[in-house]
Amino acid sequence: MSPPSASLSFFRSRHLEFATVAVCLVLLTVIFPLLNARGLLSDYTITLWGEYLCYALLALSVDLLWGYTGLLSLGQALFFSLGGYMFGMYLMLQIGMLGSYAKAGQNPAGLPDFMVFLGHTFLPPFWRPFQSFGFAVAMVFLLPGFLALVFGFLAFRSRIKGVYFSILTQALTYGAALMFFRNDFTMGGNNGFTDFKFILGHSLVDKGVGSATMRGLFIASALVLLLVSLGCYWLNGTKFGLVRQAIRDGENRVLFSGYATAHYKLFVFVVAAMIAGVGGALFVPQAGIINPDQMTPAKSIEAVVWVAVGGRGTLIGPIIGAISINALRSWATQAYPDSWLIILGIIFLVVVLFLPGGIVSLPAKIMAWRSRRQPPAPPLEAAKPVPDRP
Amino acid sequence: MAWKSFLRSLPWVIIATVGCLTGPRAKAAQETARATIVRAILAPDAAQKLEIISSLAGQGDEAIRELFTAWRQDGLFLYAPADGAKIPVELTGDKDAQGAQTAVRADNGEVLKTAAGQPLRLVGSELVAVEHDARLRLAMRNVVDLLDLGSPLLAKRLRAIQTLGAAQKPDKLPVLLARAQVETEADAKLALRQAIALIELADPSDELKLKGLAELRLLHSSASYDLIKAARAKAQADGKSGIAKAADLAMGAIEQHRSVVNFFGTLFRGLSAGSILLVVALGLAITFGLMGVINMAHGEMITVGAYATYLTQKVFGDGVNFTLPFIKFAIHLPGLHLTGWAYQCYFVVAIPVGFLGAALVGIALERSVIRFLYRRPLESLLATFGVSLILQQMFKLTFGSNNVNVDSPVYLSSNWTIFDITFAWNRVFVIGFAAVIVFGVWLALTKTPLGLLIRCVMQNRMMAACMGVRTERVNMLTFALGSGLAGLAGVFVTQLGTVGPSMGQEYIVDSFMTVVVGGVGSIFGTVVSALGIGLADQSLQQILLNPVLGKILVLVSIILFLQWRPTGLFAARSRSLD
Amino acid sequence: MITKLTKMLGVAAFASVALLSSARAADMATVKVGVLHDLSGTMAISETSLRDILLFTFDEINAKGGVLGKKIVPVIVDPGSDWPTFAVKSKQLLEVDKVAVVFGCWTSVSRKSALPVFEKDNGLLFYPVQYEGEEESQNVAYTAEAVNQQAIPAVDYFIAQGKKKFYLIGTDYVYPQTTNLVLLEYLLSKKVPLANIGGGFVKDSSGKITNAGKYTPFGHKDYQQIIAEIKDFAASGDACVISTLNGDTNPPFFKEYAAAGLTADTCPVVSYSIAEDEFRSLPAKDLVGQIGCWTYFQSIDTPANKKFLADFQAWLKTTNAEGVVKEGRVVDSPMVLSYDGVYLWKACVEKAGSFDVDKVRAAWKSGVSFMGPGGKVTTQPNMHLTKTVYIGESKADGQFKILKTFPDVFGEPHLKGTFK
Repeated sequence: MSPPSASLSFFRSRHLEFATVAVCLVLLTVIFPLLNARGLLSDYTITLWGEYLCYALLALSVDLLWGYTGLLSLGQALFFSLGGYMFGMYLMLQIGMLGSYAKAGQNPAGLPDFMVFLGHTFLPPFWRPFQSFGFAVAMVFLLPGFLALVFGFLAFRSRIKGVYFSILTQALTYGAALMFFRNDFTMGGNNGFTDFKFILGHSLVDKGVGSATMRGLFIASALVLLLVSLGCYWLNGTKFGLVRQAIRDGENRVLFSGYATAHYKLFVFVVAAMIAGVGGALFVPQAGIINPDQMTPAKSIEAVVWVAVGGRGTLIGPIIGAISINALRSWATQAYPDSWLIILGIIFLVVVLFLPGGIVSLPAKIMAWRSRRQPPAPPLEAAKPVPDRP
Repeated sequence: MAWKSFLRSLPWVIIATVGCLTGPRAKAAQETARATIVRAILAPDAAQKLEIISSLAGQGDEAIRELFTAWRQDGLFLYAPADGAKIPVELTGDKDAQGAQTAVRADNGEVLKTAAGQPLRLVGSELVAVEHDARLRLAMRNVVDLLDLGSPLLAKRLRAIQTLGAAQKPDKLPVLLARAQVETEADAKLALRQAIALIELADPSDELKLKGLAELRLLHSSASYDLIKAARAKAQADGKSGIAKAADLAMGAIEQHRSVVNFFGTLFRGLSAGSILLVVALGLAITFGLMGVINMAHGEMITVGAYATYLTQKVFGDGVNFTLPFIKFAIHLPGLHLTGWAYQCYFVVAIPVGFLGAALVGIALERSVIRFLYRRPLESLLATFGVSLILQQMFKLTFGSNNVNVDSPVYLSSNWTIFDITFAWNRVFVIGFAAVIVFGVWLALTKTPLGLLIRCVMQNRMMAACMGVRTERVNMLTFALGSGLAGLAGVFVTQLGTVGPSMGQEYIVDSFMTVVVGGVGSIFGTVVSALGIGLADQSLQQILLNPVLGKILVLVSIILFLQWRPTGLFAARSRSLD
Repeated sequence: MITKLTKMLGVAAFASVALLSSARAADMATVKVGVLHDLSGTMAISETSLRDILLFTFDEINAKGGVLGKKIVPVIVDPGSDWPTFAVKSKQLLEVDKVAVVFGCWTSVSRKSALPVFEKDNGLLFYPVQYEGEEESQNVAYTAEAVNQQAIPAVDYFIAQGKKKFYLIGTDYVYPQTTNLVLLEYLLSKKVPLANIGGGFVKDSSGKITNAGKYTPFGHKDYQQIIAEIKDFAASGDACVISTLNGDTNPPFFKEYAAAGLTADTCPVVSYSIAEDEFRSLPAKDLVGQIGCWTYFQSIDTPANKKFLADFQAWLKTTNAEGVVKEGRVVDSPMVLSYDGVYLWKACVEKAGSFDVDKVRAAWKSGVSFMGPGGKVTTQPNMHLTKTVYIGESKADGQFKILKTFPDVFGEPHLKGTFK
């Protein structure tokens, strides 16, 4: 396909695309907190955008797998939540003597409230190391990464791919959600973790200090997103990135060319799980809650939709998709609570049927239609993901 | 011992007593049954009422049944004439225009008359109904049960015998022994043996206790377990090791019996759970397995079938109104106002209605969305997920966000109990239903011209088109068949679970698992995997005593199983590569 | 553009309603109150009714002159059954819309999600649904039933009925878990032996029971195995079932229960989550004689309740609020507790003479009473309510026949460890 229009050619260069993402994120990192500190932007907006950026990380992890490697994982919400839970454990232990039982003098051991609730008298051993911030942060990477390593190793070794891979990751997510829903599991059951008070000694709840902490978390989210984007940009330029895309477009041919595709896929799967985990870890202190509802298969599918809507196989698409769909939800659930799900469903259909390249391909489509130099490709022809030119 | 042999030697006396149970018993020196009941009604507190009611046990006056039935169903009222004390009355006969009925005095069964001698007609809603609570009702039932001991109906007799046994009152022993002499039904005989043994167990004499325990050990019925346990605790406290040992043996026998019952019960439950999975997944085995569409809207096709059943039920009853959302088109389905068996037939009619309804929705879906996506299976997942969200919200806006109720027809709402294993009719039905539709699908796919076309198009669309097969039409009909089967599943699950806008979501993950484990493209594989998963799920639940852990273990084993056989149990073999 | 138009239309519609309901509306000052109930997603089933009753109550109060002469203007937000969104929407209500008070939440997890925001911004949340207790936030007014206002009276009733064996079953979340642990302590204190409490136990390494009863996940469908266990448990004839199963799992449970031949006469079930509203989706004929325990039943035979029901039905006929279902509506305890909550807030505001949260809270703690449809409710210093508890028996028409009344039961959130 030749670049049909000037507007598309802008993103046809992946250097320019990354530059756009980087500039936007840097501006966001600087301007939002400044406005907030001056009182021109409400704490509410800062937290909301902080959450959007975490969702964008989740979307990027989906895109890394689906858009660039052709693996449709329905388990990314699980890795996101696992990261959230790991960091949540640290936050829970930071509450210490400020929990409602401890205040009433019924919790001398300073256990998280939900444990006192169920009559536990001592901290389960696997909880203890989470007193340390460093350990918790390490676990945010290690646990999702380890799970992805084991699961991916088994799955890719048996050459499970395509639909089977999607359905297996869905089963994994579903099973994990059932596990975390159980109160016996000492991870808070259905209520999950809430009521966080401190992060690294900074209060999350005080009026003044709290909003400064939230600003900090917002900046952290934006910077992590920038870093991950940079990583993806770099990876796409390497030989590794090219092999990965070749796997997406024709795995057997790559295999016959002598590449151990399973190793490539495993590496990407583990990295994507870690990115999702970091997103979850940043999400939890800003949202103030993590519970098993965040790891259901439906949440994973939702993340896939953000990517599809934004434009898969691109760097900017997932970020645009995650932010726009969530902003739309925020507005539509209030303005049209009855039709919100129908609007969302129609967006799915329209994107899949008529706009396989997502929002980022929209300018090109419009230009093509206007200039009539080239009619829009029929849906069947446009099935392949938008190729990414090095 | 002495009094027992006395009784044994005088069977005729006892049979005469039993005769009395159904006939007018010699009205004892004190008062009639009616008078006793009136005394109970007027007694100031519940404890006294209870005592008086219980004292009627063993009396055979049919008036007891009549009055107690009226009492339990709010048919007894307190009539307070201006001058005198309250008179309990029963209102009988048809209501006239004012809602008044004839009043019958509870104490003598005669019609209450005005001062002028005219029959007095009273309106129920203006009088105070005689109070009752569950404890009084239970006591009343116990009394009526004794009446039931002579009932010609086996079920009634059985319940009466069991109640007597559980009460462990020695004074009831003669009645039971007498009944045992004349009883002919095997079930009732067994129940009598148990009741007699239980009463013997409560006897102070050790010898009788041991005899009772030996009998209970032979009978190994769960109902006696707690009573034996209590007796053992008492024997241990009293230092009677022989009795404690006998009790241990009896309890051991019951436990062993229980484990056998549990084993076969679990097999049956596993079979029925597997059949439900099969019914639910069969449609998907066609749309996903054969056609390769990752149909996330499969759950909503099940919902269509369930709502079709709901609407059919409403049409057989009082009719229903609903409004289609957005276009605000009001639909009124008039009711047929059927009752009795004609109404109960609604479920039979709902089966084809559910199939056709879901098949039509399936055709609409295939024509508007799916046909563009046959070459993009992963994207069919996203598109159908969108469809599923839209349909769920449509159901919510049309039928309300509340769940709706679908009644169980009488022929699906009872059970057989064989060898202490409960075979609920709805479960038995689903097993048969699954067998029939699997057979039907097999016939349709292998023995009909359409089946031949379906199989060839699914194997190679291009080649089939080249041979002149109208693949578009075959695709449409295949998708309609898969959706219709999902609709059938929807009809059935109304008998087991919730019917609401989001009900389909609960089946979707299970359905995909079943199809994938069985092997995509193999209907036979789906059958085997559904039954296997059902059995595994129920057995794990039985072993772990925890439904969630069982389910998680099943999921984990499915994931591990697929590492071993990535394409499922019965995969279609192919040498093709992409 | 379309949004603007719709917004304008909405405002116009609202204004016309307000004009109809109160002639003085035009010249009245206003006070904003938040409504935080799920109108979409899984919990919409239950919470939409609460939004409706709140709108009815606001209209009723506005028609009588508002609160401190100010007209109530509701700000309705929909968290969409997504728990993190509860925190976001609470922030929006308190920080952006600056509402005086919020009425909302149903599930425990939604309350737990919103709570830190209310504590941070010193807001006031009125919470109307029976809950597990063990909580006493200064920023929540619990109009809900505490465990001792629902679970314990029902157990007392069964003990009085001569029941000796108790089977505990619930959905696996905090409310059933805690309620069953409290009931376990209570039953043991009533000398019920551990062997007579069914459903199973989980003990920690020190042998302490941390979990009592049988738990099934949300949306569980297959109760065959559990019903078989209950049938065996109840074979001796003096057993009952204490169910904290949540709404969606009740139809499969009761359908299986009836098919296995169990009835209310042989083994009654008390269900803490089934009220009149939930009954609409249940086979009522299979449930006749089962027990419910709430602080309100629609069948309460008092003039106050009859007037309330008639007013609500009349409002349903005339209202043109968006999305209110008008046919086949019933009223149940959470709805009435929402209604009582608004009036109690009004009474507290009027006593304090201010909308300030600290002053309103002080008024609440000093004890304010309101004669609601379910009898008198009085606020307590521990942020809960004293109210009348009713035990009812279900009838074939989906209503409850009231069997027993316990007047003025003090709401006690902290029950664990109090029964010895």
